Amino acid sequence: MNWLDLLALGPHVFLVFGATSLLLLGAWCSKTRVILLSGIFVSLLSALLSGIAPPVDGDIAGLFSAGGYARFFTIFWFLTAAITLMISVRFSIELNLNAGEYVALVLFAALGMALLSSAIHLLGLFLGLEALTLAFYVLIASNRRSELSAEAGLKYLLLGAVATGFLAFGIGLVYTASGSLHLPEAFQGLQAEDGHLRAWGLLGWGLLLTAVGFKISLVPFHLWTADVYQGTPSPVAAFLSTGAKGAVVAGFIGLVISSGSAWKDLSDLLWVVAALTMIFGALGGLPQNNLKRLLAYSSIAHMGTVLVGILCQTPTGFSATIFYIVVYVIANLGTFGVIASFSRAGEEPEDLDQWRGLGYRNPLRCTVLTLLLLSLAGLPATAGFIGKFAIFHAAIQSGLVSLAIIGIISSLIAFAYYLKVVIVMFSPESQADRPSPGEPLEFGVLAACTTAVILLGLFPGPLFDLISKILP
Amino acid sequence: MINTVDTLPAFPWLSLMVFLPLSGALLCLLHTRSERDCRWLGLTVAVATFGIAIWLFLSQQPNASGWFCVEDIEWIGRFSIRYNLAMDGIALVMVLLTTFLQIVSMLLAWPVRRHVGLFFALLLILESGLLGIFLAQDLILFYLFWEVALIPMFFLIGIWGHNRRHEAALKFFLYTLAGSLFMLLAIIGLYVIHGDQTGHYSFLISDLARTELTLRQEYLLFGGFLAAFAIKSPLVPFHTWLPDALSEAPAVGSLDLTGLLIKTGVYGLIRIAFPLFPNATSECLPIFGTFALVALFHAGWCAYHQDDIKRLLAYSSISHLGLVVLGLAAWTFTAWQGSLLLMVSHGITTGALLAMVAMIRQRIATRNLQKLSGLWAQAPCLSALFLLFALASLGLPGLANFSGEILVLIGTFQTRPIWAIMGIAGVVFAAAYMLRLIQRVLWGEPTQAEVADLSPREWLILIPLAILTVWLGIYPATFLKPLETPVLLALGGLP
Repeated sequence: MNWLDLLALGPHVFLVFGATSLLLLGAWCSKTRVILLSGIFVSLLSALLSGIAPPVDGDIAGLFSAGGYARFFTIFWFLTAAITLMISVRFSIELNLNAGEYVALVLFAALGMALLSSAIHLLGLFLGLEALTLAFYVLIASNRRSELSAEAGLKYLLLGAVATGFLAFGIGLVYTASGSLHLPEAFQGLQAEDGHLRAWGLLGWGLLLTAVGFKISLVPFHLWTADVYQGTPSPVAAFLSTGAKGAVVAGFIGLVISSGSAWKDLSDLLWVVAALTMIFGALGGLPQNNLKRLLAYSSIAHMGTVLVGILCQTPTGFSATIFYIVVYVIANLGTFGVIASFSRAGEEPEDLDQWRGLGYRNPLRCTVLTLLLLSLAGLPATAGFIGKFAIFHAAIQSGLVSLAIIGIISSLIAFAYYLKVVIVMFSPESQADRPSPGEPLEFGVLAACTTAVILLGLFPGPLFDLISKILP
Repeated sequence: MINTVDTLPAFPWLSLMVFLPLSGALLCLLHTRSERDCRWLGLTVAVATFGIAIWLFLSQQPNASGWFCVEDIEWIGRFSIRYNLAMDGIALVMVLLTTFLQIVSMLLAWPVRRHVGLFFALLLILESGLLGIFLAQDLILFYLFWEVALIPMFFLIGIWGHNRRHEAALKFFLYTLAGSLFMLLAIIGLYVIHGDQTGHYSFLISDLARTELTLRQEYLLFGGFLAAFAIKSPLVPFHTWLPDALSEAPAVGSLDLTGLLIKTGVYGLIRIAFPLFPNATSECLPIFGTFALVALFHAGWCAYHQDDIKRLLAYSSISHLGLVVLGLAAWTFTAWQGSLLLMVSHGITTGALLAMVAMIRQRIATRNLQKLSGLWAQAPCLSALFLLFALASLGLPGLANFSGEILVLIGTFQTRPIWAIMGIAGVVFAAAYMLRLIQRVLWGEPTQAEVADLSPREWLILIPLAILTVWLGIYPATFLKPLETPVLLALGGLP
């Protein structure tokens, strides 16, 4: 590692320093709001720093890339962390959390996401993923008054540990087979002379995929999702469903791109996984009466669609996937943001009955939620539609027509549960208890997410141009 | 075809027409406090939009390929999606119908009490969506408007509907969405095939029509489009959502649903499915004809057995739409003109009947034929107009539906005499259920002590509808003339 490497890592280093000092500050300063606001400031400034830092050639210590792709996701995850902190302010004040700890964990998780998305070395990948997962073990259980939260934390811990085991073992096998941990050599070395994967390579890939499957909850590794989401406080759930999954997808795209033609041996398997994930995500959400569980199934269905984009194995497919991820992250952040803005002292309106008639008493936030849900569902004129369109377009172009049909059918089914929420919000029966009126920071987040969803829905061109520029 | 237009109006009238209602809707949403303002705003915007449509009708001359005006700019360059609105005679007639019926809707929506701002905003969004559907020449733009028109109707049914509104709204939405998602697949599929073939990616209908397709591809893609259009139209056997949606929808919602929304299905067939897949179309025409006849009889039979007037009108609409599709399947100039004219007349007459059902329901609080009786004795003016529209709907010569029906039958007779003969038999059904409706509602002993006759607002709604009903019956040429060139062009490539 030399000075140039350090310069490229500057924003990350700044973030770590900021997080650590806020952690220490938390020991002296009891003003939760101040610490959270400084956390927001630190993450925004880090995002800005990685935006304006001069471009660096090559990579950082052979572990992480410093290219446009890495930088794009670094900025994006830092912003995601900032938004998460913005919707956490009231939550952490009302629950009297140890703010320094909370902020530091969110920022460390963001760092893990950034490193994971820019990994070009299997160890870098492992480091990034573990940094992110470790932070989440604590974050998920941050509402210590809730049993569900503790249960969710334990579930995530156990399954996370299992996934880590799979990942480490998979990396070990890939190293055994190819003799390298550096991408793309590590995967190129897996090919035998006939173009197929060596047995060890296949096994290694299988274990890697299992780990990825756990992290982004692909069927059949999806069972933890609904329980964990339900128990997790919504600001953390927002971060978990967006950043934690998106970063794994971003890292996974890097793996897939470097794997070359050996990928063909896996694509049949992944085809089935993608189809099942989309179908289960759509069907599983139908009977849910808890909004957070419903969103968990929605996120499962979305990850299935993302996998379709990755399966295309074309630049069109990858850029569609990245666009889809960006849009999904924005809409999901906003959705959980609305839930967080209605919560009071850690009590969130999760049950759909609590949303009954809310649309008339809080028209602004419920309209925003309607719009974001429709974007998640993929209605035209929202960004979600362009995302789905781009993915299915890429899929049909690469000949995955039947997968596109399955995707269309499952997004039709998913529409039913998104609309169920909308109907409930605008049904006349009114509930007595008053949810929180929300606060400016939360409204700011909602405004930003809504604007982004509409703008990207009507004018997706610039983002697509940016994505095709940064694609490795 | 489109790009060769030389009479481009400098001012984007079409965009103005499409987006004026949408901006009105935003104003309504921002200004929900004053219900009175929202009502007047809605009405003003609807009248202004109708004014633009009339102005375009009077001032613009179609060019050689039948286009009145065209607007075309690039929208999403990456996928070569263009913002392309264009209006030919068929679109013009549909636009006139839409903007006119929206004024009627606004007036009919006057007594709505709950969430007035939202209600009028949704009506205006619906209008924007419908106008967009009729004008868009780019398939993605078309798809966008197609879905945008769905959302307000979903809320209109789901919020202001009757007892089973939630199920009805969801059924309506998912049913139509199922069709349109398959259309989306077909659109993307066609786009990819066209792009691979020519190296020039485009979603413009005129470009895509030049794609060389194998018959198998044509069938698959045609099927995708057909899924959307057949469900929306609704063709038998995809019609079951309409009676539910219609009977649960509020008065205005059902007027827009039958008067306008289901017309988009037939319009899609004419404008998109037929020209894009000529071979599959000509192969499928007999099937269309058969299903149209089935619809004509089946829906007529069902209509005869309904006690709820709205369900009766829903089945009658399905039956009429069957006749429209029969005319299209006959594939002659006369039949097509008749079909298009019948769409307009059906919108006017059934719209008027639905408006009157709402008026009756306000007075007697029922739509059940078993409970209604003897309205004539108490409200003669209301009853007289009801009689007029009902007779027009059953196809009495000199009134609206007749001219369309007779053209359809004559045109069909030219190519398929058997169909025409069966079609005439089907029209008799219309007489049966309409006469039953008239008899039950108007004649007999009055059930209520006192029923008020028409109020000024109701006169204002019904008089223009009555004038149009007679006009369409006596002098349909006004509406047939703009249809000539586009119909000839549409039929050009085929037998």
